[in-house]
Amino acid sequence: MTKVKICGLMEEAHVKAAEQADAIGFVFAPSRRQVSIERASELAKYAPVDIEKIGVFVNASLEEIEKAIELVPLTMVQLHGDEPDSLVEAIQVPVVQAFSIRSKRDVEVLQKSLADYVLVDAPGTDYRGGSGHVFDWALLEESGIDPSRLIVAGGLTAENVQAAIKQIQPFMVDVSSGVETDGKKDSAKIQKFIQQAKGDLMGQTIEKVGFFGKYGGQFVPETLMKAVKELEDGYDEAKQDPEFIKEYHHYLKEYVGREQPLTFAKRLTEAWGGAKIYLKREDLNHTGAHKINNALGQALLAMRMGKRKIVAETGAGQHGVATATVCALFDLECVIFMGEEDIKRQQLNVFRMKLLGARVESVTKGSSTLKDAVNEALRYWVTNVEDTHYLIGSALGPHPFPTMVRDFQSVIGKETKRQILEHEGRLPDVVLACIGGGSNAIGMFHPFLQDEAVKLIGVEAAGQGTDTEKHAATMTKGTEGVLHGAFMKLLQDDAGQVQEAHSISAGLDYPGVGPEHAYLADIERVEYVPVTDDEALNAVVTFSRLEGIIPALESAHAIAEAEKRAKEMKPDELMVICVSGRGDKDMATYAERLEGLT
Amino acid sequence: MKGLAELKEAGRKAFVAYIMAGDGGLDRLSEQVKFLQDAGVTAIEIGIPFSDPVADGAIIEAAGNRALKKGVTLQKVLDELASWTFEVKVPLVVMTYLNPVVKFGIERFAKECKRAGVSGTIIPDLPYEHRQLVQGSTQKEGIALIQLVTLTTTEERMEAILQEAEGFVYAVTVTGITGARDHLAEEVRDFMKRVRSKSPVPVYAGFGISRVQHVDMLREDVDGFIVGSAIVKAFHENKIEELVPLIDAVTAPSSV
Repeated sequence: MTKVKICGLMEEAHVKAAEQADAIGFVFAPSRRQVSIERASELAKYAPVDIEKIGVFVNASLEEIEKAIELVPLTMVQLHGDEPDSLVEAIQVPVVQAFSIRSKRDVEVLQKSLADYVLVDAPGTDYRGGSGHVFDWALLEESGIDPSRLIVAGGLTAENVQAAIKQIQPFMVDVSSGVETDGKKDSAKIQKFIQQAKGDLMGQTIEKVGFFGKYGGQFVPETLMKAVKELEDGYDEAKQDPEFIKEYHHYLKEYVGREQPLTFAKRLTEAWGGAKIYLKREDLNHTGAHKINNALGQALLAMRMGKRKIVAETGAGQHGVATATVCALFDLECVIFMGEEDIKRQQLNVFRMKLLGARVESVTKGSSTLKDAVNEALRYWVTNVEDTHYLIGSALGPHPFPTMVRDFQSVIGKETKRQILEHEGRLPDVVLACIGGGSNAIGMFHPFLQDEAVKLIGVEAAGQGTDTEKHAATMTKGTEGVLHGAFMKLLQDDAGQVQEAHSISAGLDYPGVGPEHAYLADIERVEYVPVTDDEALNAVVTFSRLEGIIPALESAHAIAEAEKRAKEMKPDELMVICVSGRGDKDMATYAERLEGLT
Repeated sequence: MKGLAELKEAGRKAFVAYIMAGDGGLDRLSEQVKFLQDAGVTAIEIGIPFSDPVADGAIIEAAGNRALKKGVTLQKVLDELASWTFEVKVPLVVMTYLNPVVKFGIERFAKECKRAGVSGTIIPDLPYEHRQLVQGSTQKEGIALIQLVTLTTTEERMEAILQEAEGFVYAVTVTGITGARDHLAEEVRDFMKRVRSKSPVPVYAGFGISRVQHVDMLREDVDGFIVGSAIVKAFHENKIEELVPLIDAVTAPSSV
C-alpha cells in the first residue's frame, strides 16, 4: 500500500487537513515553505500521533538535525543536499535521501544511496526542494530500483497521483506544490489528493479481479482457473521484483535491440503538408514487429513459474515467430496454432517458426484464422495446463493477460514519450496505432492515457468496407460479448454467434478487441476508426516510397489514417505513428495485390 | 432436480445424457429426448451450439457446427422445448456457453428456461467467481446453476464451490476437453472421493465417459455419469441403440 506524504506544511489548518495522510513534512531549509524548529513543534501537536513527521534539510549539520529530531519531534529525516554517506549513517531515525532525476546517470547515483528510502524529484530550479515538473517514470522503472524504498515526488497532483502509484507502486508519494493554490497550501486540495492517492488502492483491487470498467474478467473453463489464478499471482509478484524487470529490460536491449528510434519522417511531413510526423520504429525490433516485447516478458515469467512448455496462437505469424524465437533462446518447448487460411497467406513466417524449432499446428476449423487458432490454443492449454504456459499474443484473454500484455508492450509508449520530449520538448498532439486485438496500440497509448491533451487514435481493419460483411471493424460495428475468456467487444450475430472477421491483414483479422480498448472507447479517451484494405495498400506504397520503410499491412492501416489526419493539422502540431512491424512477411500479398505497380 | 437427491438416497446411479440441440435438425430433438427418456436416463443436457466452444472436443464441436448451419439458436431451442405436448419426466438442463446467454439477455434466459420446463443450466465458461452475473436471475426462476469441479480445482476453491452447489456437481474426469477416451487416470477415483465427501448434492462424473469399463472403474465413488460425445456421435450415425447397454450398466438396480 503506497503511503501519502503532504510536505511543506506551515499552518495548523493544513496539518489538520492532512490527518488522513501517512506522513507530513516540515521544511527547515531556506524555502518559501521554511519553518523554524519551534514552529514545527507547535504544528506537530495538531497531527495524529501515528503519522510520520519528516524534517526536510539541505546540507544541515548533524547537530542541527538531531536537535530537530528531539524537539519537534521528528520520526524521519529527509535530506535534499549533498550530504555525505557518513551523515546519512549517523542519523538515528530512518533517512530519506532525495535525488533529482533527469537522466540515466542520475538514476545510477541514486542506486548507490545508503539511506533507508530514496525520494525522486524533478530537477530543482528555484530551491533545492524541486521544481514541480513531472519527471520521466520510465527511467526509474528500467533501473530496477526496489519500489519499496522509493518515494515519488515532483509534479504530483490529485489528477495524476493514481497513475504514478499504479505505474511505480512506490513506498510513498510526496506532494507539496500540487496541493497549493497561489503558492499556499489548500486544505481542499490536500484532502482531495489523499483521497485520490488512497482511492487508487481500490482501483488496484478492481484491476486485480481484472476488469476495465465492465470489460475483462476471467471467463474460462474451470480446468483453467487454477492456471489463470497462478498466473495472476505469479505476474503480480514478478512485476514488483526489480530483478525481473531488470532481466526483461536486459533482453529488450541486448537481444531485441531496443530502444527503437522515434524517427522524424521528413518527406512524409512535407508530402502531407500538415503535422510534423514522427515514426515509432517497432519494425526495427528483432523478428520485425512489436510482438517480441510481449513474448519475451511472458517467456521470462513462464520460466520463473517453472513452466518450460509454451503454446501460442498466431494470426499474421509475427507473434508465432516472436514466440518461437524466445523459445529457441531459452530452450523452451513450443507449439504454435495457426489458421490454415493464415498459413497460406504467411508461408514465410510458417517456415521461420519451423526453422526456429517450433511445431506449427494448422487449424482448419471455423474461418481457419486467428479466432480459431485462439480456440485451439485454449483447448491445448486446457489439456496441458499443468506444465504449459499459454503465451497469448495480444491484449486479449482472461485476466491477467490483457494487463500483462499491455505492461510488456508499454515499453513502446514509454520510449516514445521520452523521445518526443527529447526531440520536441513537449508531448505529441496525436498518436496513432493499428488495432486487431490491440497490443501495440495499448502499449503505445497506455503511457499517454493521463495526458489528456494527447489525442489517441486506434485504427481497425474495415476490410472491404464496414458496410459490407467482409470487415474486422469491431469497434465500429461490434457489440458486447464474451469470447476467449473476457467480456469485450465482438463481431457477432443476433444469437450471440461470433462472426468471421475479414481483413487483408492477417494480424487484424480478429472479431474482437481487447477489454481495455473497449473501456477506453466507452469513456471516449481513445477514438477508434476503420480503414479499408485498399486504403492500407495505398499507404504501403506511399510510405515505402517516401520514407524507405516497407511497413507491415497492419501498420499501414495506422499510416492510412495518419494521412487523413495530418493533412488537417497545422505544421507546428506533432503526430506519432506506431509502425508496429515491417512488411517483409507481407511481400507475397504486396506482389499479388500491387501487381503492375510502376 | 429433487429426484436426483432421492435417486442418490436410494443408492441408484444417475445417467445424464447430452444432446447437441439441432444436430440433424431441431425437429429431431423431441424424438431424441423421448428415446433417452424411454431408455431410462436420469436427466438430459440440451446443448446449445456455439461458434467457439473452447471446452469441447472435436465431436461436440462438429455437431454444434452442423446445428449452426441449420440456423439453430438458443431462442429456437427454448421455443422447441416449450412446444412439446408429451410429458418430459426427466429433468432437462441447458448447457450453453456464456455469450449466447449474454446476447439473449440473462434475465430473459432464466425466464424462458422456466417457461420451457428446464430445471438447470450449465455454463462451462462462467467460473465460480463470476457466477453472480447469472445466478441472481436463475435463482429467481428456480433454475439450478450447475457448477463444475475439475482435477485442477484447488481444495479451498472446491469447498467454496461445493458449499453453494445447486442440482448436482459436474465433476470433470480429465484435464482437458470433452470427448471419448480409452483410459481414465487412476487419480480420478481419489478426486471423485474427495468431491463426493464434501458435496451436499449428487456428484456426477463427466468428460470422456464412453465405455462400461469407465463406469465400472468409478461407480463406487460417484453418484452418476454424464455422457456427451458418445451420445452425440451415436445420434449422428444413427446408432443410438448401441448405447443402451451403457445406459443400463449405469442405471440397472442389479448392478448396485
